[in-house]
This record gives sequence, C-alpha cells and structure tokens, in this order.
Amino acid sequence: MSLAKATAPALSLKGVGKNYGRIQALQGLDMEVPRGSIFGLVGPNGAGKTTTFAISCGFLRPDRGTVNILGDGPFDPGKHRGRITALPQDSALGRELTLVDLLTYLGRLQGVSRQDIGGEVARILKLVDLTDRAQSRTKTLSHGMLRRVGIGQAFLGNPDLVLLDEPTNGLDPRQARDIRDFIASQRGTRTIIVSSHNLHEIETMCDHVALVDHGRVVMAGPISQVTGCNEEVQIALAEGPRPLDKLRSALPGDLVDWDEAAKAMKIRYTSKPDRQTEEVIGIALRALLDSGARISSVSRGQSLERAYLGIPATSSSDAPPVLGAN
Amino acid sequence: MFGPTSLRDIFLVAGFELREGLRSRRIFLAGVLYMIIAGFASYIFVDILTRVQPITNPAPLARNRGPMPGLFGGGGGGPRPQTPNGTGATANLPAATTSSSNTKATTPTQPVAAAPASTNPDEKALFRRGSPFREVLRQTTTDQPMLDFLLSQPPITLFHVLVSLALLPFMVMLTSSESIAQEHQNRGIRFIALRTGRAEFVLGKLLGQGVIIALLTLLSGGMCMAVAAWKLDDFEFLPATWALLLFWPRIVAYCVGFLGLAGLCSMNSSSTVVSRTFSLVGLIGLWMAHHLSQVYIASYPADSAKAHFFRALDFLMPYSHQNDLWRPEFAQYGAGMASLLFLGALYTTIGLFFYRRRDL
Repeated sequence: MSLAKATAPALSLKGVGKNYGRIQALQGLDMEVPRGSIFGLVGPNGAGKTTTFAISCGFLRPDRGTVNILGDGPFDPGKHRGRITALPQDSALGRELTLVDLLTYLGRLQGVSRQDIGGEVARILKLVDLTDRAQSRTKTLSHGMLRRVGIGQAFLGNPDLVLLDEPTNGLDPRQARDIRDFIASQRGTRTIIVSSHNLHEIETMCDHVALVDHGRVVMAGPISQVTGCNEEVQIALAEGPRPLDKLRSALPGDLVDWDEAAKAMKIRYTSKPDRQTEEVIGIALRALLDSGARISSVSRGQSLERAYLGIPATSSSDAPPVLGAN
Repeated sequence: MFGPTSLRDIFLVAGFELREGLRSRRIFLAGVLYMIIAGFASYIFVDILTRVQPITNPAPLARNRGPMPGLFGGGGGGPRPQTPNGTGATANLPAATTSSSNTKATTPTQPVAAAPASTNPDEKALFRRGSPFREVLRQTTTDQPMLDFLLSQPPITLFHVLVSLALLPFMVMLTSSESIAQEHQNRGIRFIALRTGRAEFVLGKLLGQGVIIALLTLLSGGMCMAVAAWKLDDFEFLPATWALLLFWPRIVAYCVGFLGLAGLCSMNSSSTVVSRTFSLVGLIGLWMAHHLSQVYIASYPADSAKAHFFRALDFLMPYSHQNDLWRPEFAQYGAGMASLLFLGALYTTIGLFFYRRRDL
C-alpha cells in the first residue's frame, strides 16, 4: 500500500449531491473522516445521514461529487471487500436460517477463511450477547436481538471502516450502553462512523463529529472543538453571591458572563501551553470561593446539543431542526 | 473480472439461496403444489388412457397404416415377442398404454372391465399400435426420426416432459422472479453488496433458483412415476426412470432460458409485485413474439430479409427451441439446450447491464 493511500482519510466526500426526484437529499456535502477515529454523523430526520451512508457504501450513486474510501476511490467490491462493513438502516437479514448459518455466510462472503469462520462467528455472538441463541432461526429473534446481530455482522473479520446507521435504535438502555462501550473500545483499531440523532450518545462515544442539515455539513471537527471544551468553562452557582466583577478581574482578557438561564458563570478563553483549561478553572474557583459564592457544578464547554442548536437555521422553508438529546 | 473469488461467492450465494429456499414455507408450498399438480395430471392421464384404450378400435388404424415404424423402439417393423404376462419384451415399451389388464384399479362400471380382448396377444399388440396417445404423437409429429424416438419412450415420461415444458415457464416466473427483488424490497441486499459484486450476487441467486427448480422438476417426475407405478401392474420402473433422467437436463435447460428473463426482471425491480408483474408480462410477450415470428416467417419468402429478421427474432425466444428438446440425437437436442443456455445468459447479461447502474 502506498503512503498516500495509507495516510488518506478513511472516508472523503467532496461536493456530493443526490436527488430523489425533486427532493435534494444531499446538496454538495463535504466531509472527511480521519483514520482511526470514531466519527459521529449527527442531524435531524431527513438531514441526509442515511443517504450519506448509502452513497459511501456504494448502495446509491451520487448525482455529483466524488467519494474516496480508504484512498481507493469510490466503493468497489474488488478493492474494498472485507475492508468496509456497515449496519444499514431498515434492512432485513435472511429469516430462515440460524444465526450461526447467517453469520457464517456473511463472514465467508467477506473473505473470512473456512478455518477461521467458526471462531469468528463465536466471537461475534459473544460480543452481541447472543451465544445462547446461536441455533435460533433469525425470524424468531426480537427486534433488539436482530439489531444486535446487525451490529455484530458489521464487526465480522477485520474491517478498516465500519459504518453504523443508528446502531442503538431499538435497544434497551443496558444493551445500548454495552454497544456504546464496545464501539468506544474500538478507538484506534479501526475507523467507525456512527450516525445518530442522539447527541448525548455521539458526544460520549465519538471523538469527531459532523453536523448535517438539509444535505450539507454545517459544522465538523473534533468533538472538543465543536463543543468548545477547551475554550469554555461554565460554573453553576447556587443561591448566594454572584461576584461577576471579581471574576472578570481575576481573568483579565477572557470573556466572563452570567448566564441567567443556566444560573452559571460562563468563561470563554483561549487555551495556551502555560494556561490550559485546568488553570482557568483553578483561578475562577479561587476567585468565586473567596467571594463567598456557592458552587454547585463545573463543566467544560457546551453540550453538543447546545452547539447544534446554536447553529443558524439553513436557508430552507422547513422549520429549524429540533434535536432530542437523551 | 471473474476469478476464483467470484466463483466462490457465486457458490456461497447459491448455497445460501438454496438452504433458505428449502427452509422457507414459500418454496416448500410451491414444491408441494407442483408435485400435487404433477401427480394429479399423471393420474388423469393414466386413467384416461386405460379407459380409452380398450374401447378404441385399433383395427382400422392397423389396416389403414400398417405397422407403425418405431413403435417398439426400433426403426420400424412389427410387434415384438410378448412376455407371458402380455407386456412387451422390449424394456422401453410404455406401460401406461400397453393394456387395460395392467391396471390395478378397475371397477365393474368402468369401460376397461369390458376388455376381454386384451387377453389375446395379437389384439394387445394392435392396441399398442393404436393407442390414442401414440396416435396423437403421430398426428402432431411430422419428423420421422423424432416420432420413432418418442414412440420408444414410456408415455408417462413424455407426459411429464410435456407438462413440465408447459408449466415450468410460469413456475419459474412466479418463484424466481421474486428472489432478487425481495432482497431489494427488504434491503437485505445491503448486507451483501459490501461483501461481493452485484454480478456474483445475481449469478449466485439464479444458480440457487436453478437448482431448486431442477430438484422440483425431478421430484415432480418422481411423482409421475409413483402414480404410474400405483395405477399400472406392470409399470417398468427402470426404463421410465432412465427416460426421465434422459429428459431432465433438457427440461432444466429449458428453464434456464426463462430463468434469465426472471432474473432480468427481478434484478431491476424494487419489489416482488413489480418483478412478478414484469416477469409475467415478459413471458406473455415472448410467447406472442414467438408465435408472431412463426407466422411472419411462414408468410415471407424463405430468403427474404424479413424472413431472416423474424428467424433471428424467433431465435431469441426460448419457446422456439422447445421442439429441439424432443429430438433423439445429441447434436440436435444439445444445440437446443445450448441455445437456451445462451438465452439465459443473454437475458441475465442485459439485466446486469442495468443492474450495475441502479441504486440499491
């Protein structure tokens, strides 16, 4: 593999457009997914997340723009077989055969050898906690179990790029947490792109994010950058003194405000090598405590939800998106 | 570019399709239905023959035409020596048309009960020559070698082939046209499309369907044999089975031509309903095109450009190769089978041309 390919983004989309009749699903979408990252694709229903996934996987052909997967151009089974897998949305698995048979079939197609497939299937069944249902026909499984099978099949073999379209949709809280933990544990071993409109989930699981709306990426970058967790500190105060002036004098050059809605001091600053977030928090807390303020909590940055809702609505006749974060 | 990986994928997809098909209720029901149809049709066929034959007066036939060539499996000549139980010594003498005395179930009210003449070997020979089934063959077949060949085959096998060639195109369209379209409808294709090429997927699916149809055809043939064995005392199992196996690859080849059409429709449809509709419309279209071509070929001078055009058009219709499958020489029926396989490949290739470009 050439150096250019090895260092190329796991997925790169440039100016990708797709129309369904007169509906513009994607309108020149640009996105780059760094290798080894867990990348969140966030947006409201109808924003274009699933279409982006489908084009990336080669299920749909873009009307315009270019797609580059792992530095090898658009999806080509000859080049990408076994290197890219996906959990598609609303796709049904074969119904008649057992779970073992189904995973064996998918794994073998993906290139897992006959010798290794047994162990690989057992690993996946254990991963999604379905070992005891290995011999069940898939049509007898519940919706949540099928979702877990779908996630499991995406990790068959050793793919470089995994695309998961709303993986925790339909799972109970415990299963959803297990899946999130598993995905997070894959950080650095492969690139995983997760689509969701659960912003909290994306925030806890991913290290990069792209916010999609009306077929365009409206914000993208590392989570820390998007949420400003190295640029903003909020200190919530209980009833009592609110020494805004004292705090401003303790942090000259930084922007300090009182957020009445959050009942919190909001400090915006610029990180420097000798003055990182921890130092800013220390100075602020000392100043507040010296003034008799009662501190109830300290948080870095803003939530992904607030970051998303802070984006101006795009030029569309639709109402601005309202995202429900759990 | 096809390579070992592609072949492996085709067989993997075909194996999965086969196993899913065999375990699914839909294919199971189709199989049961097909066997019931085959069994019931065979029963009616055997029953009618055994009822009609004794009351048919063969004498005029024998007098007017003399010994029918190939009647006993050879190239002509008279009756062969009879075995003590009245059946022909020739192994391939059709049991279903030999004699009413061979039937197990006869009631006093049935016409066959009034067939004492069958105890006379000479008259039985006349019955064979004059059997209505064979008479139908003689009236419908002008090709003498083919007639000789067909007359040497057990009628129950010929009946099975006849029914199969008539019904299988519909069956192929009804069952196989759903195979790929269903994957589009439920988007199951998206689990596969990342793991193998579209051509491998389609070929695997069609191969699986082909194997299912081949098995169903064999089972239905077995059902016909079972009915004949039940109804006829001296049913000769080995000749009938041999004849069934002789014709079986021809039936399968005939199906391949239609399987290609079913695949073409299925891979370019987004739902099973659309696919089935396209397939049946396509089937009717092929049938009409074949018959219209025949009419036009006959109405233009043989060397005219129009006649050549309609001959070429007719070649593209699987129906036009059906006649070749009845012929005795391998060069003849082999050419028909090869043409049908070619047509299956042609329809599939046309389908793939569009399928490679469509959204999944």
